[in-house]
Amino acid sequence: MATTLTLPKLEMSMSEGTLAEWKVEDGATVKEGDVIYVLETNKTARDIEAPASGTLVHKAASGETYDVGTEIGEIV
Amino acid sequence: MSQGNLGIEPEVLKAIYGQMARIRAVDKAIQAGLSAGKFMFTYWPMTGQECIPATISQLTTERDYMVTTYRGIHDQVAKGVDLYGMFAEALGREDGVNKGKGGSPHISDPKSGSMVTTAIVGAGAPIANGLAISAKERGEDRVTIVNFGDGATSIGAVHEAMNLAGAWQLPVIFMCQNNQWGEYTRIPTYTNSPNFFGRAEALGFKGVQLDGNDPAAFYKGMKEVVDHVRAGKGPVFVEAITYRIGPHAGVGDNYNATKEELAAGKERAPLEKTRALLLEAGISTEEELTALEAAAKAEVEDAIARALESKPTPPSETIVDVFADPDSVPQRGHFPVREAEGELSGDTESISMAIAVRDAQHIAMTNNKEVFILGEDVGDPQGGVFGTNKGLQTEFGDRRVRPTPIAETAIIGAAIGSSIAGMKPIAEIMFVDFLGVCLDQIANHAAKQRYMSGSATHAPLTIRMQLGGGMGGFGAQHSQSLEAWLTHTPGIKVAYPSNPVDAKGMLLSAIDDPDPVVMLESMMLLYTLKGDVPKGEYKIPLGVAKVRRPGKDLTLISYGYMLNHCLAAAEEVAKDGIDVEVIDLRSLVPIDYHRVLDSVKKTGRALVVHAAVEFCGLGAEICSTINEELWGKLKAPAMRFGADYAPMAYSNAIEFSQVPTPPSIAARIRAAVKS
Repeated sequence: MATTLTLPKLEMSMSEGTLAEWKVEDGATVKEGDVIYVLETNKTARDIEAPASGTLVHKAASGETYDVGTEIGEIV
Repeated sequence: MSQGNLGIEPEVLKAIYGQMARIRAVDKAIQAGLSAGKFMFTYWPMTGQECIPATISQLTTERDYMVTTYRGIHDQVAKGVDLYGMFAEALGREDGVNKGKGGSPHISDPKSGSMVTTAIVGAGAPIANGLAISAKERGEDRVTIVNFGDGATSIGAVHEAMNLAGAWQLPVIFMCQNNQWGEYTRIPTYTNSPNFFGRAEALGFKGVQLDGNDPAAFYKGMKEVVDHVRAGKGPVFVEAITYRIGPHAGVGDNYNATKEELAAGKERAPLEKTRALLLEAGISTEEELTALEAAAKAEVEDAIARALESKPTPPSETIVDVFADPDSVPQRGHFPVREAEGELSGDTESISMAIAVRDAQHIAMTNNKEVFILGEDVGDPQGGVFGTNKGLQTEFGDRRVRPTPIAETAIIGAAIGSSIAGMKPIAEIMFVDFLGVCLDQIANHAAKQRYMSGSATHAPLTIRMQLGGGMGGFGAQHSQSLEAWLTHTPGIKVAYPSNPVDAKGMLLSAIDDPDPVVMLESMMLLYTLKGDVPKGEYKIPLGVAKVRRPGKDLTLISYGYMLNHCLAAAEEVAKDGIDVEVIDLRSLVPIDYHRVLDSVKKTGRALVVHAAVEFCGLGAEICSTINEELWGKLKAPAMRFGADYAPMAYSNAIEFSQVPTPPSIAARIRAAVKS
């Protein structure tokens, strides 16, 4: 079953975040717990870990700011 | 491997690890779900603190009470809160343990002993005292454990609660999970204290510092603590040293910590260390532990999957659980007819309101041994600053009439906690002006417990507050009329009698009421106004207004001591041929709009009078309802008359003019009937 990756709301005050960098290439295999991308909020940069194992599909470009809830990728 | 080497029974260590694994599985699943955007809710991670509740779970049962805080998922899991109900709650779903009305920071699950979860730092400690009072008074061997972080040691509520627990030797454990961080701020930025457990000794009870990351040492230390408290030897403050690996809120690592601090914290983290110990000591095999962890993960995955299927709690639930009876909730266009008391008969005696209040408490205490009074100076010989409890301590003893420290937050918290356990406390706060030093307990806890818990628990305490104004000499901090502070907070009932007969009957209703009730007692009336009060027991229902003087030209609506000024004003204008109907609201919440609107339909004019400041006062609310409901039937718009917008002055000349008086009310009536 595919796991959809949406831009998470990590704090009460968060409404958007910047996908600073994909740490894993599009189409590469990831293990649950691997750091897959860096998310920048107004507070800090966070490493976001893969919530599941599988093949990572990028659906959003890095370096851009997205609203919380935007679909940015998938693990299939 | 013998216990001698490990310092703990192997089976106990295994069980502790089992709970730690469940906590970790929950933590990981939440962080993964939040990171993936699978769900959204605010999460306060407790990663690194798993050992504390996991160990406590081996020393307590569901009979023991727990109070905890928003960073308390680990406490809930180890206490035995059903994971499905917990996740559904965190997601705001109707199958949540609290119907999705409280969320993860307000779990209340009496089945597992998780009684209260507060999102107000430190506020659980005063409530824990109340739970402990109930256990002690009932002769139960339950212990109450209140969890809070080191950050909470800075707030007054914790200090007040510790002092009261020491004074009353309550069976409560103050469990300070010292994770080194108060939200985003570290020790020593927020305190210069070298430690926290030392504060207990200063307050006359036992304090210990334990390693909260070492299950064997923590188990040993906590066993002594739990045994001590269970044996009735008084409270204990435990400073459990741990480290918060996560941030204050959100997911991932604590980004306020330095790399070195975080690495050291992870090095000391209990779960990995305990796992290694189990293997090293030959207590468990790798296969066993892997299976145990897989089972925990499966339990969590199943709970989350089912919770996501539960329906969001619908808006039809909005006013359910505010009060026991939804008809007590003020609602636009819904004005329930509540039955009035019958004709009061039998022998009467001419007594003051102070004696009437005393008699009501005497009756309630005689009828039910779980009714008790607590408050400043309530003991004999004075029986309270206003003497409303005179003789009760002498008759019922000092455990049923409890003079307290000067600590209103501790007083209300103790009343809330004991009422949640089913007792019937009456807390006396001698001036309503002191609301400011206990408003969090009243407004955020007593008023909201039923709602936040989806009626899993509720706090049916009675609070008596005296209030002044218009008497002279008490000044700005002892003369206010603050009823609107209370009526603006959903979940709290407010009674404000105008005479001794109502005071006795309404107080008896308040004590029996399933919801928290504040009864306001006017200082002006306590000793100056006598009434022919029926002897023995009778009740005046809450939410039933009463016509004090029938009339046809204008409805004068008031309550409390101002009602008597209104009656005097009505007689004054009667000389001019103006026939005023005077309605005594008696209860402000629930409010009796049915009788108010019925009267105004007849007279076509309304004037609401109160001693409270007119601006944003209850008069504005009542006038607005009258104007909206009876527009087209009114001869003039409903009007309000309250105190000038100023603190109460010490100067008698100002004070006696800044609140409505019989002449100034009469002038308003004359102006109103002209329009």
